[in-house]
Amino acid sequence: NLSLGQKGFKAPTAYKTGTTIAGIIFKDGVILGADTRATEDTIVADKNCAKIHYIAPNIYCCGAGTAADTEMTTQMVSSNLELHRLNTDRNVRVATANQMLKQHLYRYQGYISAALVLGGVDIAGPHLYSIYPHGSTDKLPYVTMGSGSLAAMAIFEDGWKPNIDLEEGKALVKTAIRGGIFNDLGSGSNVDLCIITKDKVDYIRPYEESNEKGKRQGSYKYKRGTTSVLTKDVIRFDELDIEVVSEEAMETS
Amino acid sequence: MAYDFGLGIRAYIANRVTDKLTRVSDHIYCCRSGSAADTQAVSDIVAYHLDFQQSETQEAPLVKTAANLFRQMCYRYRDQLSAGILCAGWDKKEGGQVYSIPLGGMLIRQPFSIGGSGSSYIYGYVDSVFKPGMSRQECEKFVENSLALAMMRDGSSGGVIRTAVITEKGVERKVILGDKLPKFFEG
Amino acid sequence: MYYKPRDHDFAVSLVQVYDLSASQFSPDGRVFQVEYAIKAVENSSTAIAIRGKDGVVFAVENLILSKLYEKGTNKRIHNLDSHIGMAMAGLLSDGRSLVDVARTEASNYRMDYGSSIPLKTMADRMSMYMHAYTLYSAVRPYGCSIVIGSYEDGNPQMYMVDPSGVAMGYYGIAIGKARQAAKTEIEKLKMTEMTCRELVKEAAKMLVEILTLAFLFVIHVVHDEVKDKAFELELSWVGEMTGGKHERVPDDLRAEAEKYAKEALAESDESEDEDM
Repeated sequence: NLSLGQKGFKAPTAYKTGTTIAGIIFKDGVILGADTRATEDTIVADKNCAKIHYIAPNIYCCGAGTAADTEMTTQMVSSNLELHRLNTDRNVRVATANQMLKQHLYRYQGYISAALVLGGVDIAGPHLYSIYPHGSTDKLPYVTMGSGSLAAMAIFEDGWKPNIDLEEGKALVKTAIRGGIFNDLGSGSNVDLCIITKDKVDYIRPYEESNEKGKRQGSYKYKRGTTSVLTKDVIRFDELDIEVVSEEAMETS
Repeated sequence: MAYDFGLGIRAYIANRVTDKLTRVSDHIYCCRSGSAADTQAVSDIVAYHLDFQQSETQEAPLVKTAANLFRQMCYRYRDQLSAGILCAGWDKKEGGQVYSIPLGGMLIRQPFSIGGSGSSYIYGYVDSVFKPGMSRQECEKFVENSLALAMMRDGSSGGVIRTAVITEKGVERKVILGDKLPKFFEG
Repeated sequence: MYYKPRDHDFAVSLVQVYDLSASQFSPDGRVFQVEYAIKAVENSSTAIAIRGKDGVVFAVENLILSKLYEKGTNKRIHNLDSHIGMAMAGLLSDGRSLVDVARTEASNYRMDYGSSIPLKTMADRMSMYMHAYTLYSAVRPYGCSIVIGSYEDGNPQMYMVDPSGVAMGYYGIAIGKARQAAKTEIEKLKMTEMTCRELVKEAAKMLVEILTLAFLFVIHVVHDEVKDKAFELELSWVGEMTGGKHERVPDDLRAEAEKYAKEALAESDESEDEDM
C-alpha cells in the first residue's frame, strides 16, 4: 500500500466514522436518516454519498464506519436474505437481518468497521436495531450511530416521544441528522431519509440540502480592455520561408 | 441476583435503558457483563442449544444445563472472551437457582451472586443483609437496594434497575426508573 | 422375487437377491439384513429385565461353552454410566462396541450439560445410532439388542433397542433364545407393585427354570452333563436400594435368589413327576 501510495495511487475510500446516522420507530413504521458526507482523512471525498443501504424490500440499513465494509456487509446480507425470501416465499424479518449482521461482524471480531442502524417493518411490526462493529446489538425505539451520534442522540433525548406521527418523526430525524451535520466535523452535506411502513417504502434523497453552495457574491474577472495595448506585431505563418528536409532512410541491413 | 427456595430473583444495572437481562429459555435468564458482543454471541448460542434440547426432549431445560453450557463456552474460549455471566432461573427439578460464571469460565452455584463493575462496591452490603430463606418481597427489596447502592458508587453503572422474578409461572419483569430508586445517604 | 429358475436358459442370472445389502428393500417391503440381525439376537442366550416400583432388575444367563473359560468372562451386563445399566443379547462384540459408543455419549452429555444423561435421551441416541447401520450398503446392522434401565428422580425406566433401531419403553422384556417362555413368565408378575428385591428372585427363577428345561432337553439327549454348572447367572439392578446407581446384585441376595430358584424348580419337578 505504501509503494502504491508513493506511485501516486489513491488509497481506497476509507471514510471513517465521520458520519451521522439515526433511526426512530414512529406510529406506522420506521424512519431512518443519514448525512451524505464521505471523508478520507481530512478531505471530503464525496459530498453526496448514499449511506442508507437496501437490505430487503421491507428493510433498510444505515452504515457508518469504513465505506467499503458497510457497503459489502449490507450487500452480502441483502443477497443472503433475498435467497432466504425466495426459498421461504415470505417477507424476511428484521430480526433475521440483525442476527446475520451481528454474527458476521462478531466473526471478524471488530475488524470489519461497520456500525449500523438497521430498521424495517415485518409481520411482527416495526423494528429498529443498532449494531456495533464488534457484533453487539441493541433493540431500541430510537438509535443513533457514527461520530455524530452524540449530537443526534441529544436531539432524540429531547424530542422523542412514543407513538410519534409521520411528519413529526421526519422532522425529528432531520433535526437529529442536522445536529450531526453542523456540530460534527465528520458529517456534512445533505440529509437522506428513508421511511418504511407496512406496505410502502419512501426513500427521500436528498430530503434536505442542508448546505447549499453559496452564490458567489462578486466576480474577479477583469473587464476587457483593462490592460492597455502598447505595441502590435503580426507574423503571418504562411509567408514564412520553410525548407522541407527529407530524412535519410535508416540503415536496416 | 438473589434466590429463595422456589423463586429466583435477579436484576441488573442497565446502562441507561439497554436490557442486559437476556432470555435463554422460558424459565432461564442471564445477566451479562463484560463485552456486549461476546456475551450476546454466547447467550445466543446457549439459547440455541437449549431450544434444540427442548425440542428433542419435549421438556423444559434445567438451569444447571444452561449454566453448564455457559461454562463450557466461557472456558473453551477463555482467551478470546471477556464475559462474566450470571445465569439463573427456575426448573422443576431443583426450583430457583443462581449460578455464576466469572471471567475464566468457572461455574459456581450460589444462594445469590453479584457481578459487573459495580458489584465490588456492595459485597459488604449484600453479605451483611442477605439471609437464607427470604420471602419474595424481601428478596426484591434486597436486590433493588443492592443495585441502587452499587449504581451510586460506581462511575460506570447507572440508569434504571431492571428486575426479573422467575417462578414456576414464568418471568415477571419490572423496571425502576432513575428517579424512583431507593434513596440512601448521598452526602 | 423368483425362487426358481424360469424356462429360459439365462433365467438363473435374473434371479434377484435382496438379502445381501442392508440398503435394499425386497419387493414386499422388507430389509432382510435387518431381519437376519434380529435372528442373530433370537439365537443368543437369554437376557431379561423387569421394571419394578423401586428400580430395574437385569438378569442374564451366560452359557459356559467350555470348562476352560475363566469365571465371569464375557459379561453381558454393563454400566453405560454410573446410573445406567445395560443388558444385551446377540453378538457379544457388537454389543461391546455399542457400550463404547453409549459411554462416549454419556460422557459427552455430562461434559456439555453438567448432569447425567437421561435414559430417554440415551435410548433415543442409541436407537438413532443403530438405525443408521440399517441404511447403508457398506455396513451391516448391529447383531444385538440392548435393554437399558435407570432410576432417575424416583422413576424407574427401561428401554429396549433392537437391531432395526426401534427403541421402546417396557415394564418387562426378554430377549434371546428363550424370550417367549420368559415373557410368558414375566406377564404373570405384577411388577409395578413389586420391589427389586422380589424381582431379582423371580428373574433368577425364570432363567434357571427356562434354562434347565432347555438343558434337560438338549443335554439329556447329547450328554449327561451336570446341568446346573452349565451356565452362569448375571444379576444386576438399579434403583432405590442402590441410590440410583447401577450395580451387580450383592452376593448374599444373589445366593438367596439362586436358592429360591432351585427350590422352586425342584418343587415343580416333583409336581411334574407326580403327574407322570
